[in-house]
Amino acid sequence: MTARFNFMHFMPYVHLPENHKDYKSLWVNFPNKYYDPHKAAALYDRYLDELVFADKVGFDAIVVNEHHNTSYSMMPAPSLIAANLIPRVQNARICVWGTPPNLEYPNRLAEEYAMLDVMSRGRLEVAFPLGTGMEYWANPVNPSTARERHKESIEIILKAWTEDGPTSHYGDFYTYRFLNSWVRPMQQPHPPCYIVGTGSPETIELAAQLGFGYSAVFVTKARAKELNDNLRERSAHYGHQIRPEQMPLGIMTYVAETQEKAEQEFTDHMRFFFEDALRTVPQFLAPPGYLSVEQLKARAAVGDKMHGSFDFKMVSDALFVAVGTADHVANLIGEWGEMMGTTHFNIQGALGDMPHWKVMKNMQLIAEEVMPRVRGTASSAGAMAAE
Amino acid sequence: MTEFKKETININGVDTAVYSAGEGEPLLFLHGAGTFHGFEFAKPWADKFRVIHPYHPGFGESADDPAMDTFHDYVMHYVELLDALGIDKVHLVGFSLGGYLAAQFASQQRERVKTLTLVAPAGMRSDEHPTIDVLATPGEELVGMLASDFSVLEPWLPKEPDPDFIGDRYRESTTVARLLWEKPWDPKFMRYLHRINTPTLIVWGQEDKIVPHQQAELWKQALPDAKVEIFPGAGHLVLDEKPEAASAVAAFAA
Repeated sequence: MTARFNFMHFMPYVHLPENHKDYKSLWVNFPNKYYDPHKAAALYDRYLDELVFADKVGFDAIVVNEHHNTSYSMMPAPSLIAANLIPRVQNARICVWGTPPNLEYPNRLAEEYAMLDVMSRGRLEVAFPLGTGMEYWANPVNPSTARERHKESIEIILKAWTEDGPTSHYGDFYTYRFLNSWVRPMQQPHPPCYIVGTGSPETIELAAQLGFGYSAVFVTKARAKELNDNLRERSAHYGHQIRPEQMPLGIMTYVAETQEKAEQEFTDHMRFFFEDALRTVPQFLAPPGYLSVEQLKARAAVGDKMHGSFDFKMVSDALFVAVGTADHVANLIGEWGEMMGTTHFNIQGALGDMPHWKVMKNMQLIAEEVMPRVRGTASSAGAMAAE
Repeated sequence: MTEFKKETININGVDTAVYSAGEGEPLLFLHGAGTFHGFEFAKPWADKFRVIHPYHPGFGESADDPAMDTFHDYVMHYVELLDALGIDKVHLVGFSLGGYLAAQFASQQRERVKTLTLVAPAGMRSDEHPTIDVLATPGEELVGMLASDFSVLEPWLPKEPDPDFIGDRYRESTTVARLLWEKPWDPKFMRYLHRINTPTLIVWGQEDKIVPHQQAELWKQALPDAKVEIFPGAGHLVLDEKPEAASAVAAFAA
């Protein structure tokens, strides 16, 4: 099948202090005295090299995203990462998925993304997340009006990109007397846009209205299917035909020579990702007004199994986790693509505290052994060699 | 014991639950940021007054109105509520967030306030004795800070984790966030406090861990005619903890 493969990097700060388990949350209020700029510099070099390698081995796109006040991610400003990569990445598209528009002035975000699109000769793709609850504790933005502001911000960005300026905008949150971005995107009418979320119905509705793509993160397989079906239905309702490539499917992926070896090499890093990188408290996940009361109650009733605990079987049964031989992983990806009605795979292959060599090996095996199998272009000699 | 009667009054589109009991001069009680601990302390007031305790929009049994995002909206809500009830003047009693609201009501609508009682009022900025940021404090910690004697709270708390209880608190925090997320205080607040020309009683628990009782002095300095009563052995919920504090409120208004 036609399939698109992204390589997504979380860029965690992995040098946690020995006593880090004393902290219930590694987000929002985890003391920044544990951040060592020299160690961080080495990590940036390493992570950026890994993303450049993703391009070299044939991934179609590379993906970066934004988080604040946390060791989970070293990308509070993902556009800077993208700017660094543009001259080094020859072919891959560059996905900034993305800066929550609520955390920046919308005109400035429109300009910033347009700059990246121009400098990359039209290779930019963007996502407009609402932002996790944690971002609202770290930034001076009211969570109780986050959704309304989010909607208005996107409206301003699209206006800045698609309407001839100078124009103006008089809204509930922003007044622009002269909206006139003197950077216009190279892709017309604008770079491909997505919304990334955790499945709130309000967010899906917004993506459907705007004709954007949508990708759900940290939801179960069954729920993800429901969400894609719902997105297709709601988009059609607004007159938008959702294309398969507009529904990127995030898959935690690790490939090795045998199933056992893959699990053995990967499990501890996945554990780090869930127990340590994602560890936080309910208060930070849901600042006041960020969720509807109904959503909050529903989440309180089922409890939170993602942010601070880990069970390999539970996580791999519930989420899209493809770990094993190239054949196994390719089969899973093909199967899930069919189930979800998508051809766009967002491969999360640098998870937790994986060392450099594992990331590189994983990337190469995915590119050389898995991608051709899913696309049906694997030569029989190559396939046999991998048996 | 006095029982309150509930009526629901639509104020400018918001269904507002209003509890009343007793006869006499009207006494309007404005509650704080959390309503789970009830209004038992207000019952004796009904021996002398027509006690009115409404739920603010976005709290307890009243409906939500996300468009109400300033204290001015709440002042106007109570202007309209008093109009709807045909009440000209009230003894106004406000606790915590409701104290902050009561002070604003009294400075803007002083002709409608006969006496003013502020119980551990929020809203005063003090670098020396700052108010706890209730929005930044986890609920499970906050509940332990409310009273000097935790046993006064126990009957009101669920025995097991209860999604409905959590949802109710989340809803009330959301309403508070609409008002206070950007700034826990209003830099303009002090500017108009001097307009409060009604006699004012300031009541505080000496062990208040939410709004320190030392702020009482700042209120006393800002208000033309105020006296202060501090109750030892009581925390933020001084009315729930000390019947004599509730009696002092009634005695002052009488």
